[in-house]
Amino acid sequence: MPSLRCIWLAVLFTALAGGALAGEYDLNIPEAQKKPYDLGGRFELRYIQHWLNDQSARYRLDYYKRDPGAYTEEWRPQLELQGGFRQGMVQFHFLTHHEYDETSGGGEWTNRVYEAYASIKPSVNLTIEAGKKSFLWGKGYAWNPAGFINRPKDPDDPELNLEGYTALGVDYIKSFSGSSLRNLALTAMVLPVFNGWENTSLGQSGDVNYALKLYLLWHNTDLDFIYFGGPNQPDSYGFDFAKNLTDNFEVHGEAGYRSDVTRTVLDSTGQAAVSQENQLSYLLGIRYLNAIETTFIAEYYHNGAGYDEGEVDNFFAYQGWAYQQWLATGKDAYMQRANMATRPYYRQRNFGSDYFYLKITQKEPFGILYFNPWLAVIVNLQDLSFNLQPGMTYTPVTNLELNFRVGIPIGPSGSEFGEKEDAARTEMWVRYYF
Amino acid sequence: MPKHLLLVLGLILGLLLAAGPARALTGPQILEQVDRNLEPGDLEMYRKIINIEPDGKKMEYVLWFLRKDKDKIVTLFVSPASEEGRATLRLGDNMWLYIPNVGKPIRITSMQSVVGGVFNNADIMRLDYSVEYTVSTLGEDQGQYLLDLKAKTGAVAYDRLKMWVLKKELVPTKIECYAATGMLIKTIHFKEIKDVGEGVVRPAVMDTDSPLYQGYRSIMISAKLKKRRLPDEVFTLNYLPRVKDLR
Repeated sequence: MPSLRCIWLAVLFTALAGGALAGEYDLNIPEAQKKPYDLGGRFELRYIQHWLNDQSARYRLDYYKRDPGAYTEEWRPQLELQGGFRQGMVQFHFLTHHEYDETSGGGEWTNRVYEAYASIKPSVNLTIEAGKKSFLWGKGYAWNPAGFINRPKDPDDPELNLEGYTALGVDYIKSFSGSSLRNLALTAMVLPVFNGWENTSLGQSGDVNYALKLYLLWHNTDLDFIYFGGPNQPDSYGFDFAKNLTDNFEVHGEAGYRSDVTRTVLDSTGQAAVSQENQLSYLLGIRYLNAIETTFIAEYYHNGAGYDEGEVDNFFAYQGWAYQQWLATGKDAYMQRANMATRPYYRQRNFGSDYFYLKITQKEPFGILYFNPWLAVIVNLQDLSFNLQPGMTYTPVTNLELNFRVGIPIGPSGSEFGEKEDAARTEMWVRYYF
Repeated sequence: MPKHLLLVLGLILGLLLAAGPARALTGPQILEQVDRNLEPGDLEMYRKIINIEPDGKKMEYVLWFLRKDKDKIVTLFVSPASEEGRATLRLGDNMWLYIPNVGKPIRITSMQSVVGGVFNNADIMRLDYSVEYTVSTLGEDQGQYLLDLKAKTGAVAYDRLKMWVLKKELVPTKIECYAATGMLIKTIHFKEIKDVGEGVVRPAVMDTDSPLYQGYRSIMISAKLKKRRLPDEVFTLNYLPRVKDLR
């Protein structure tokens, strides 16, 4: 009898402790349970320290009336919420962005709906979408000259979420077997402008813009042919490609041609000359992974909207002239006008015409899992000034990410990076996903 | 009468042949059977990947896995929250990663890893062994088949594999993965043979270690397998952002 009791106890213990455990492994996957809705997001706390270059053009524009000290600090708590709901062939998705930016000049809230759209899928071939959606067309990592309906990326942070545009679109996909053309996808969209509400950067109220993209997977090469145009938008034609030449070597490129684009150029006294011109921008890049898991991303970018060496010289000369006038007269108008006049330049993240980008990421060096240090550099090939950025990402526990980077703009006076407001910028941020 | 006699003799001969010793399987036949037993045709299943560090710390990822024909694979990250919505596509030697924040799918390579740890993309989105490897030699070791496999092209993640296969079940128990230099990259141990769904009996656990990651282990658990045939259009770049709708 005692031995029978022992067996029963052993069976009971095994049943209680085991469940779906088989040996040392838990074979349960509760996450496999499907839900009709999802809700999640991420919280980020970012701290930035700007070590200021008080001789730079941009510093003088921002701080000509006050001395901010050797450095300024910035705190940016951010929350991004996303969710969705599915019922049959209909789905709704949203992504919102909430940010508080506290600087030495005060605090400011930003609340934006980045995405909110409904999609209907009558079949796997066809999807109809309506609402606000973020588009990232093109194959470049740091820049996308063919991404006419993309919000401009920050080359220092190309993987951030970006606000979308409001559109009504259709996406048709077709696959082929036994052919050099394996996949084809056609995306067609209309992007109306609603006054003071949506798509205001795409024209005047009532304008209806059109975007088309044809994607082909042909001979193992991704190809995209893109068109974008509208009543107040230049006709824009784009092309991109990507292909893995070997298992660890990828090559990609894109080109964008825009006709009759309005361009503003300043002379050394701030007189603006406005003209219409056709602009061709292009990018060629590679992605390479070596045997010790170092990833290299290198890109050359020609910016058709960029300014040549003489135009950049005039741009900085004008800012210097405005500053000298303000020193001599004390009239704020010189600096206020310079602030306004230089916007077309500063609005472009990189206003030069030729750039080189390199990012080297080492996966998990010294056997430290989830630790990825990296080094990135953006070089203005005209004036050879550059921004050097070492950084690291570490994920010590699930859903918690620690990031750190330093940005060091280097270049002589009168060069793009030599005239940056920051002599150096240290940045650290924590992200928690839920 | 002679006609009937011939028929009877033929039947007897047939029965004798059928009752005799089974014809030995060739290396390629064993490999094809291993493929069928591990991933029988078009299917969906869930995979949990657990990376274990030397101090016992764990990181878990759950993927929804779709496969069609011999060369089309989609995986969708179901958890953790930091990875949710990411999806990968494999079409033959081509691989892409879709990250919702980044938007467009980017090309990735087989030796990279979307989850960190010992498993690389080629392990997670593996094609049939018989698609990527030829059998160089077939031997025996410890009562199991021992297959020596050679990569068909340079695009395959490992140049050579040594695969130990159970004779009765025709599923692997261990695979050693070697680089072209002869260096051992990792060893995969197949464990827990059980029904992983719809009567498919195969090892539910792949436990991996690597001399390149001393003290680290990665485990892949397969479960909830269902046979499912999806249209080719699901296995395209444009569909990656929507693949979660098919769960």
